[in-house]
Amino acid sequence: MAALRSSSARVLAAASRPAFRPVVAARGMANLADGATHSNHASDGQSPKLKTFQIYRWNPDTPTEKPRMQSYTLDLNKTGPMVLDALVRIKNELDPTLTFRRSCREGICGSCAMNINGTNTLACLCRIPADNSAEMKIYPLPHTYVVKDLVPDLTLFYKQYKSIKPYLQRDTPSPDGKEYRQTKADRKKLDGLYECILCACCSTSCPSYWWNSEEYLGPAILLQSYRWLADSRDERHAQRKDALNNSMSLYRCHTILNCTRTCPKGLNPGLAIANIKKELAF
Amino acid sequence: MASIARSSALLKQVAAKQSVAATGLRVAAFHTTSRKSLLPPPPQRIEGTVNDPVHVPPTSPSHGSYHWTFDRVVAAGLIPLTVAPFAAGSLNPTMDAILAATILIHSHTGFGNIIVDYVPQKRVPTARKLFTWGLNAATVLVGLALYEFETTDVGLTETIKRVWKA
Repeated sequence: MAALRSSSARVLAAASRPAFRPVVAARGMANLADGATHSNHASDGQSPKLKTFQIYRWNPDTPTEKPRMQSYTLDLNKTGPMVLDALVRIKNELDPTLTFRRSCREGICGSCAMNINGTNTLACLCRIPADNSAEMKIYPLPHTYVVKDLVPDLTLFYKQYKSIKPYLQRDTPSPDGKEYRQTKADRKKLDGLYECILCACCSTSCPSYWWNSEEYLGPAILLQSYRWLADSRDERHAQRKDALNNSMSLYRCHTILNCTRTCPKGLNPGLAIANIKKELAF
Repeated sequence: MASIARSSALLKQVAAKQSVAATGLRVAAFHTTSRKSLLPPPPQRIEGTVNDPVHVPPTSPSHGSYHWTFDRVVAAGLIPLTVAPFAAGSLNPTMDAILAATILIHSHTGFGNIIVDYVPQKRVPTARKLFTWGLNAATVLVGLALYEFETTDVGLTETIKRVWKA
């Protein structure tokens, strides 16, 4: 329904828009109707900007078949600016068997985390570089079990998240029987921690997590751990620290900082882990 | 690479089917080199049901926070210990012995960390035991050698001094 409404709005908008505006501005969800609309513009003399995407393919229905890279070529004039737009367009128009997760297309849900040109990021937040014609390589998140194509199995990741008890643990009722209050300074400590969307980009970019994912919790889960350690309302700080105080859960972090470099939300898991280590140190 | 030549205006289903058929012929060709099970892959499944949290290991600060703090203290302590004999210009056998002992401890914990990282207890418990005891033996051997070197030869600092000049 929404797609119908937006595409009709787009046709109307296209009529009122000056003809020389780039088609990117008129972009909505990529679909066939989109392409048809734009082909009118493209005939104005715009040469096609072809871009090839090499995408990791593996099908669980044929498990003995080796994973392979499949190439798809798109005209960027008819595609939105982000990698997710290209993937949606490939699935709609070229190959409906291509499988990937996506939901919000604005970097809030964390579903479309994948390895694009060697960097873990969200496909919806990653621009297609328009200035060069190099192929883009898209893989699932590294060192995860692959369910199909670009869909990784995040079961272990969620099980680890559950093990840190990611919820407020408190026995004392609030003095006035209303919500648990915080000072502004205490609330500020949670900035840079609560924004994490658990897309697993950081954890799957961490070499320590690659080698020891069964026991080491990984940057994303430790960032969440610190989010509850830094919360002034939580009353289980000692237990939370004890749960991390062993050789594997926390101390396999060697401050490699791949996590901080790759985080598509610009957070700093490396700093959070360093803070946990400091809190535990003495 | 044939797909590069294809124009995007055309539907690619036929071509896609062809490439699937081409790769479908090569069945079960996972390994082109011989298999070496040095570090066997973990079981290709996740333990427990999806609703269970992973096992939380028992608290042991001697392997966790104390170990970490001790590592840092030793590493930071090595800096003045290394500089002091040269800065002071005097060669004190006691300081030399402390420096040698600290280097020994630093190397032992450092190599220990590498073993914890790369010889996982969960996957290769026997190799882990082997490596840990190998490290212990090496540390004892190096400790004896350093003791011998300090007591019957010129000592660590003097050696570095001579090598530096040579």
